[in-house]
Amino acid sequence: MNDVGVDRRAFLHASAMAAATAVASGGVRTNALSLPVLEGDESPDNGVAWNKGVCRFCGTGCHVRVGVKDDRVVAIAGDLKADVNRGLLCVKGYHVGKILYGEDRLTTPLLRRGDSYVPISWDEAVDIIAKKIHAAPERFGFYGSGQWTIGEGFAANKLMKAGIGNNHIDGNPRLCMSSAVTGFLSTYGVDEPAGCYDDLDECDVLIMWGNNPAEMHPVLFSRVVDRRAKGEDVLLIDIGTRRTRTTDLCQEYLEFNPHSDLAIANGIAHLLVKNGTYDRAFVEKHCNFRQMDPDAPNNMYGKPMSFEEFAAAVAEYTPERVEEISGVPADKIRMLGDLFGRRDIRITSLWCMGMNQHTRGTAINCLVHGIHLLSGHFGRPGDAPTSLTGQPSACGTVREVGTLCHLLPGGMLVANENDRRKAETLWNVPEGRIKPTPGHHTVALFEHFCTPKEDGGDIDTLWVQVTNPGQTLPNLHKLFNRKKDLEDKFLIVSDVYPTATTRLADLILPSAMWVEKNGMYGNSERRTQHWFRMVSPPGQARDDCWQTIAVARRLLELGHPGMRDKDGKFLFETRDANGREVPIWEWDHYYDVNVDERLFEEYRPFSRIKQKDLAPYEVYVKARGLRWPVVEQPDGSWRETRFRFSEFDDPYVKPGSEFQFYHSVTKDDRALVWFRPYEPPPEIPDDEYPFWLNTGRVIEHWHSGTMTGRVPELRRAVPRAYVEMHPEDARELGIHRGDMVRVESRRGAIDLPVWINGRGKPPRGQVFVPFFDETKLINEVTLDAHDPFSRQPDYKKCAVRVSRAPASNGAAGTR
Amino acid sequence: MTDDPRMSRRSFLRARVLGDVVGRVGDSIADRINAASDAAGLTPKAPPARSDRYNKPFPVLRPPGAIEETTFLDGCTRCAACIEACPHDAIINAPDRFRVAAGTPMIDPVRQPCRMCEDTPCVTACEPGVLRKDLPVVMGVARISPVTCLAHQNSFCTVCSEHCPVEGAIEIVNGRPRIVEATCTGCGVCQHVCPAPENAILLMPLAHRPAPPASHPDNENDRSDPPHAEPR
Repeated sequence: MNDVGVDRRAFLHASAMAAATAVASGGVRTNALSLPVLEGDESPDNGVAWNKGVCRFCGTGCHVRVGVKDDRVVAIAGDLKADVNRGLLCVKGYHVGKILYGEDRLTTPLLRRGDSYVPISWDEAVDIIAKKIHAAPERFGFYGSGQWTIGEGFAANKLMKAGIGNNHIDGNPRLCMSSAVTGFLSTYGVDEPAGCYDDLDECDVLIMWGNNPAEMHPVLFSRVVDRRAKGEDVLLIDIGTRRTRTTDLCQEYLEFNPHSDLAIANGIAHLLVKNGTYDRAFVEKHCNFRQMDPDAPNNMYGKPMSFEEFAAAVAEYTPERVEEISGVPADKIRMLGDLFGRRDIRITSLWCMGMNQHTRGTAINCLVHGIHLLSGHFGRPGDAPTSLTGQPSACGTVREVGTLCHLLPGGMLVANENDRRKAETLWNVPEGRIKPTPGHHTVALFEHFCTPKEDGGDIDTLWVQVTNPGQTLPNLHKLFNRKKDLEDKFLIVSDVYPTATTRLADLILPSAMWVEKNGMYGNSERRTQHWFRMVSPPGQARDDCWQTIAVARRLLELGHPGMRDKDGKFLFETRDANGREVPIWEWDHYYDVNVDERLFEEYRPFSRIKQKDLAPYEVYVKARGLRWPVVEQPDGSWRETRFRFSEFDDPYVKPGSEFQFYHSVTKDDRALVWFRPYEPPPEIPDDEYPFWLNTGRVIEHWHSGTMTGRVPELRRAVPRAYVEMHPEDARELGIHRGDMVRVESRRGAIDLPVWINGRGKPPRGQVFVPFFDETKLINEVTLDAHDPFSRQPDYKKCAVRVSRAPASNGAAGTR
Repeated sequence: MTDDPRMSRRSFLRARVLGDVVGRVGDSIADRINAASDAAGLTPKAPPARSDRYNKPFPVLRPPGAIEETTFLDGCTRCAACIEACPHDAIINAPDRFRVAAGTPMIDPVRQPCRMCEDTPCVTACEPGVLRKDLPVVMGVARISPVTCLAHQNSFCTVCSEHCPVEGAIEIVNGRPRIVEATCTGCGVCQHVCPAPENAILLMPLAHRPAPPASHPDNENDRSDPPHAEPR
């Protein structure tokens, strides 16, 4: 097992068919589209057609090859030709085909009648939704996710903002990505990372800030570990609050007290300034300094400060002071300061929820960008601050298409009049159609939905697509479970399996998923990816995008004026090659044309507004994804951009400027280096609730486990949630491995088995619970306090107490 | 691993796609043993002639404390008391294709592994005494196939060691699991939980189980000599 390359190849060959799923003949529906078969020589004459797809799970965006026979996905293999994963997949990816074939797929629309559900027709379902919306359009909300394909998100966004004319559309990236967004916006003036995964191949030092890529983005971490296995010198530093599988593979582990990463980052900035090791030339040419404006504390863009003021502000964060706050030894802070002070090495920072899901998520994002800018570790391959996403299209759909309550497609803002005019022009709707006030962000949306009308709850009807807020919202008793007693609130859920959300739904719609529909995703590194529909959805399950368009059409028939554009045409009017209108709102005609392509081409002009240029649809059909901006070359080819804002690679950078932050907040092509002070967390353990609670994922399950829970191999590997605990804490409480304990906060309680010295090892005084298990809803315990700029809740810490559970095993506390 | 990956791929594809795509992963060990027996030429092509060779016992994953196989087959009354006693539903009757062993108790870990109960109720329930308390609870030994193990193939996985009920039987070395054969009992939990697309655990039933201690006082030797051989 010496030659990793050979091993991997042999492995791929061996496992090419391994994730094969049961073959049974279903109703074969011939696809109107011709599918590009990948490699002819790799398809033996056995009736299996191979096609390219993108893994349905995390934001890494691994490309998979999907083997289809008799209208069934029968095999999955890693795609050797994909830059992202080079043939490798993680345990979830190898099993991704099986998520289509769980026994309890939803196959028919279901309407709640009292305590039970009755099957209804699609016509009826669409009619019910349209009438609910039409009765009170301003009281309708739409909640989606970074699992929406680009087309689906674009259609939903258009329906809401350019049609119904209310901005109450948000998505679960609010719960996971929004602090990264506000971090990018307040630093560079435009969202999404400048670097890409290539940085992982070039860096000399990789710093993981509260990040556990070995478990959450395993294929990316493999890329780095692989380099080291081949003898390359890569220093891996884990700055975290609990030992994880990633820690085991890192040379340095710096354990900090929850929330104190703010102090660590400021400590590094202080050392760079004090030692004079910051990159003076880079800073003078490309950076301005910023701090919070005490007169307008909620202004994300703050107020200017001078370098001298910045130096004075960070001066209090001496290594000793940082040690006091964070618990990280002063010497280790000096080590970080020295590394950033060196010009001869390349440093990449990685982060994900560990930085984002905090009440100071925006602040820590800004600070990490800041130390990279201050030290000039920016914009060269291997020198990059890079945030990762948890969902396959958090970037592609939610951040780029703008399916959040304050955004318009292409990174434009609802609150900006110019942006609204541009969007209205591109959508060809009358001026003023788009409302100038942002809608409700996620926490507010559900708060309003779960509050009775008479008490000010101004959302009556809520449509949830491709996500499971009944499990993933924080403080579920407050933000979701209260819906149960509110009879005049109507919850519509489009999903593929019964979930914690469908249990309170009034109308459940069966959706097509993944390769049952055409789709495009955008991963963490600005890579837009494409796949074609390969198999038919089961029963009456239909595309989410079709559902949105069908409701829009019914609204038009009911006379809603917003469903027509300036010329009186239907918002989603689609014509075939001969110019005849295709009634795509009728399912039988939905695939007569490629609706996904039409929506993408309608969206493309938006992408050029902020230099996030996308190539034509057919370019993506042939590619394993391309990183924007994708710009046409003189020879007619399309070139992607790996390193944004760097002259050597980004076509939008002015020649001779080396770096240009062309969306600069200060309009002078400079990025902002922020000073954000350390501030204490919103809830701190005390005598009554003495433990920190941290939540997260495991490699085997993806988010709420709706899909991975249906794959027997993954379910057997990690069947249910648990609580990780330090052995000393367990001993003091007289608890042994496997004992049931009650984890209880001020908001809720849940009983879980204890895992001591498990995969993750929390320090004393901290416990960790994964959130995938729908029978153990840890979010009934978590806190809904959120970041003031990004509105992202703090899932990573709250105060709990832990005690031996009462005799009855498994009963959830206060449900 | 064959030398020519293309060949292995082709034969693999043929086997999986043309043949039975349904859950290679889900094949039971019984099927595998059967297949191995077939491969070894144990299945007569002509009308089955009950030769001595055919009737010779071959390794079966027995419940804990099982005595030497020939004696076991003679002594076991097929009363199913151990099957009923197992709180985890892990013991089943060997199916007909197990020939001489058909109807006797066995464990199929892919279906349900032995959970290594401390009080071994199956042994307590055994009236004829072919499962014995004075024998070590060793049913076989697990092997990891590095070609299919995720952790050995640049992914990250430690599921087998996390679920292993026997302390120290699976070590993690540089992120990769390794079976400590001297400690492994062959309970099959690792095989049951392995999430690799091709199950990476091979489970070898103990080929030479000890006779009761009276005749074989030094049965530790059997433990340190785990069976590797294909059934012959």
